[in-house]
Amino acid sequence: MPATAVAKPENGRNKGIFHNTAGFSTLITVTVLSLAWLAGFASRLFAVIRFESIIHEFDPWFNYRSTAYMVQHGFYNFLNWFDERAWYPLGRIVGGTVYPGLMITSGTIHWILHALNIPIHIRDICVFLAPVFSGLTAIATYLLTSEIWSRGAGLFAACFIAIVPGYSSRSVAGSYDNEGIAIFALQFTYYLWLKSVKSGSIFWSICTALSYFYMVSAWGGYVFIINLIPLHVFVLLVMGRFSQRLFVSYTVFYIIGLLLSMQIPFVGFQPIRTSEHMAASGVFALLMAVGALKYLHSLNPKGQWKQLLIVGGFLAAVAVFLVVVLLTYMGVIAPWSGRFYSLWDTAYAKIHIPIIASVSEHQPTTWSSFFFDLHVLVCTFPVGLWYCIKNINDERVFVALYALSAVYFAGVMVRLMLTLTPVVCVLAGIAFSILLDLVLREDEMCPPPVESEESKSLYDKAGKLKKRPHETPNGASEAGLGMNVRSGTLIAFMILLMLFSVHCTWATSNAYSSPSIVLASYGNDGSRRILDDFREAYGWLSQNTAEDARIMSWWDYGYQIAGMGNRTTLVDNNTWNNSHIALVGKAMASNESAAYSIMTALDVDYVLVIFGGAIGYSGDDINKFIWMVRIAEGEHPKDIHEADYFTERGEYRVDSEASKTMLNCLMYKLSYYRYDSGGSPPGYDRTRGALPGNRGFKLTYLEEAYTTEHWLVRIYRVKKPDEFNRPRLPVAKRTISTTNSVSKKLAIGPGTTTSKRRKGLLKNKPTVVKGKKVARLE
Amino acid sequence: MKLYLILGVFLCFSAAKAEQETLVLVDNLNIRETHSQFFKSLQDRGYSLTYKLADDANLVLAKYGEYLYKNLIIFAPSVLEFGGLIDTEAITKFIDDGGNLLMAGNAAAGDVYREIASECGFEMDEESAAVIDHFNYDASDDGDHTRIVVSPKNLINAPTIVGAQNTHPVLFEGTGLILDKDNSLVLPILTADSTAYSYNPKSQVKEYPHAVGRKTVLIAALQARNNARIVFSGSLFFFSDEAFNSAVSKVHGDKLKAESSGNKALAAHLSAWAFGERGRLRVRNVQHQRQGDKVSTNTYTITDTVVYRIEIEELKNGKWQPFEATDVQLEFVRIDPFIRTTLKRQPSGAYEAVFKVPDVWGVYQFKVDYDRVGYTRLYHSTQVSVRPLQHTQYERFIPSAYPYYVSAFSMMVGVFLFSFVFLYYKEETPKTKSE
Repeated sequence: MPATAVAKPENGRNKGIFHNTAGFSTLITVTVLSLAWLAGFASRLFAVIRFESIIHEFDPWFNYRSTAYMVQHGFYNFLNWFDERAWYPLGRIVGGTVYPGLMITSGTIHWILHALNIPIHIRDICVFLAPVFSGLTAIATYLLTSEIWSRGAGLFAACFIAIVPGYSSRSVAGSYDNEGIAIFALQFTYYLWLKSVKSGSIFWSICTALSYFYMVSAWGGYVFIINLIPLHVFVLLVMGRFSQRLFVSYTVFYIIGLLLSMQIPFVGFQPIRTSEHMAASGVFALLMAVGALKYLHSLNPKGQWKQLLIVGGFLAAVAVFLVVVLLTYMGVIAPWSGRFYSLWDTAYAKIHIPIIASVSEHQPTTWSSFFFDLHVLVCTFPVGLWYCIKNINDERVFVALYALSAVYFAGVMVRLMLTLTPVVCVLAGIAFSILLDLVLREDEMCPPPVESEESKSLYDKAGKLKKRPHETPNGASEAGLGMNVRSGTLIAFMILLMLFSVHCTWATSNAYSSPSIVLASYGNDGSRRILDDFREAYGWLSQNTAEDARIMSWWDYGYQIAGMGNRTTLVDNNTWNNSHIALVGKAMASNESAAYSIMTALDVDYVLVIFGGAIGYSGDDINKFIWMVRIAEGEHPKDIHEADYFTERGEYRVDSEASKTMLNCLMYKLSYYRYDSGGSPPGYDRTRGALPGNRGFKLTYLEEAYTTEHWLVRIYRVKKPDEFNRPRLPVAKRTISTTNSVSKKLAIGPGTTTSKRRKGLLKNKPTVVKGKKVARLE
Repeated sequence: MKLYLILGVFLCFSAAKAEQETLVLVDNLNIRETHSQFFKSLQDRGYSLTYKLADDANLVLAKYGEYLYKNLIIFAPSVLEFGGLIDTEAITKFIDDGGNLLMAGNAAAGDVYREIASECGFEMDEESAAVIDHFNYDASDDGDHTRIVVSPKNLINAPTIVGAQNTHPVLFEGTGLILDKDNSLVLPILTADSTAYSYNPKSQVKEYPHAVGRKTVLIAALQARNNARIVFSGSLFFFSDEAFNSAVSKVHGDKLKAESSGNKALAAHLSAWAFGERGRLRVRNVQHQRQGDKVSTNTYTITDTVVYRIEIEELKNGKWQPFEATDVQLEFVRIDPFIRTTLKRQPSGAYEAVFKVPDVWGVYQFKVDYDRVGYTRLYHSTQVSVRPLQHTQYERFIPSAYPYYVSAFSMMVGVFLFSFVFLYYKEETPKTKSE
């Protein structure tokens, strides 16, 4: 507890007075938690302050759009919403393909506030939902950590998670995404699970199941819970830690959680049909078998039952495993989905599912991003883990498993850094708490009361485990640990923590607070220039195109076109139909006439491409283009070949050495059509640092409809078939050559067209002579 | 009120008049006399003709963005360059904006003709080339065998264009046309016989002629995608009074003979088609609804039964009347047609189809695409969405689930009974279960 007080310097003055009553420690806890909430909330507002209160990026736009729809039309209409504006002409059943937790959460808040006559726009609720929930996450983390270790460690963990960049990356204001509320649900579910394992009460298990239900409704990452908890149970069984508490909590949680999770339309029958969920049911069956054997054992606790128990348990495990394998083989259970395969085999997605590999957040994590997202915590959390393993009990088994699996997954995918962050905060909180316990204990002069208080809050064997960290340093260095060393260590760690918070603020402010639909560039003198091309283009679409116009673009921009432009899109960020995306990719990768036949088949009215060459924006379509080719090749291997788009030496380039296919594909043409801005030679591409190889070409089947101020978004109109009105015979195809009279007329044109009255020319024009009959024309 | 009525009548009248405004470009005002019967037949049908010399310096087609004429007749083979604001580009723009064009040339026609023909998807043979047929020339031929007799069998099988009963042979003297094979919109109205070829009659045949046999097209037509119509004849003589009046007597072969040529009738039919008097279709009304419903809807649920009704009208004698056909089809398309069915004609004149929406949700289109030779293309598509069942529309109780219902309810009853047992049963030897 004293550690807590010092950890937050602002509470330092309370140091002396609070250990007589529990009220003071509660006060401290509440104060620290609310300050953490405030700090977490405030640090996530950079985007709003710098730009405006706006929804960020891609997926949030869909979430916002469906939330607005739900608020407007009611929940049941949202559940039955068939969105004909997405995935034209397939449409999308939104209610059945979405995790509705996010929309329901903000819809509920909106409803409550309006019931209280606080008229707030749903957009503002959406923008500020994630920062608000970060405070709840901090509280849930506090609860979880104090369940595992101590309340002091809990306060540390809460403060860490409130500001750590790994979490704020997904929860800044405006980043209205599932993860924003799901991390809270995740932490809270784990807390309740530990609570129910500890107490063995049905009440806590049902609370766990309810919290799990909320998690299922909020994020696909619920699979992590439904695999981690069974893993915990399984490891406890293997460790011989079976208990009635475990039995009650898991069976109740599993059954209730299973039934509840199946109520989410998107999840449906998956929990009993797919391999991802089979671990949970397998462990359930195993736990039943072990429970039955234990019961038999308790009836006659003699020697031979002991072996029977072990052998029986082992046989039950094998039987369960075989049944699951058999069912998978028979096709009753769906095999692992591609996304999960790519978790085990990191090269799998690259070979088999380019659409998964193409997403930047599915790339393997670099070590630097570990440090960037977690800073000092990444160095200290192994200490906490070590202490947890050293003083093992049922809950710490859980946190150890949590940490190990999360580290693995975070290493595989950048995106899963998000699941690692909470456990790192928990363990780092424990580590710091232990350290400060150690350093500050001597000052206190009264360790016994603290220890007794600690032991009260901890679960079994508390006395023993409390002694351990205490003893080890005792033997090694306590005798030599003087005042100076203590305060030196203290100051060193305080500086570390200070650096940590500075880093967190810096990272959140610079790396994670860009709305990505509004770009900012800085001039040499530090002046800021706002590039608002995306909204300019989407605004143009919504104002100038027909209500039911269909816009073709790469799937990244689907949600934004639907959200901001309010127009029909062919593909969007819900990448559920690979072949449809491949069709769009094929259109982009084909030449103009082949693309035109695809586009007419899909009734495309406009094509939208992102081109960053003029301002050096690297996330544009030409840089993504190779993924379009790969995805298209996966579905149309006869028409599209990736190698055609590279030079002979295997380089991906756009200048004059680029391959012919590359220079004539639709994406290239739409990007560089009429492009003469950019660099010192006009038409220089600043993103790729090259002069485009094919320039000055004309478009046959499309015409430029709009290009934004910085050339960032280019919109083209696809001509309708009836605009090719007459089947003209091109000059090259004519068998009979003519002296081109059209050009002849133009040649004499400039001088004479000023006067409208221009006499034509007739061959052998009859000259009328009086008294003479006009000869017949021949 | 009255004023509006008068204004409306006036507008209708002027609109009807605008339909008939026709500019005739000639290279010699004599043509007005030599082709007087043809022009008279047009005037009798209500066209107001404006004759202009092709090299007139004041020629204009449009003023202030409005076309002054709906139809254009060019009977000026010797033109090298049009006067005023007319040139090939202006004419093609006129076509692209929906104007109709009737054009006739002869062997002497210049490159302007070739340009315009090529813009429409066919080619006119070289200058001074004429269609020669040594087996099918008329008795009045002057020795080059270029005034040929074409049997009505060589006409395209399209009554809307060439008329239903055209039995007289026609006379033709002029150059041949070549059609682009890849071009599906161009129609060979009249082709030459297999013995014909197109070459300069005055010179020896040194090269292979550009057009030989039945590939030599004498009159070609194009209905552009915007339903503008172009009729292009290789022969100006075809429309002349001389051709209209003269008797036909073929020199060789089956001695095809007729009191008068079929030119007059054919020219009248062709001009009527070209200027849109015939073969025009339009959609009057489209309705679709769930069977049994009264109101139209844009959203269907899978496996709904849908009634689709379309009223099609044809312009007959200047009046829009219900169109009669048996081959109008409806497609229900989502990228590919899921349903293709023939529309049945109802006594009321509407076409109707009743079908079941496929069990696949998505955004569909009702498409009626009626494209027949001689008729304007009739295309109508309506977009509707087909949505899956709502959460209230599924079956509540399904037979295969009865075992589960039974087990659920028996469990409830069991627990209820057990609670009594649990509450009121007194154990004789109270003993804790666990140890």
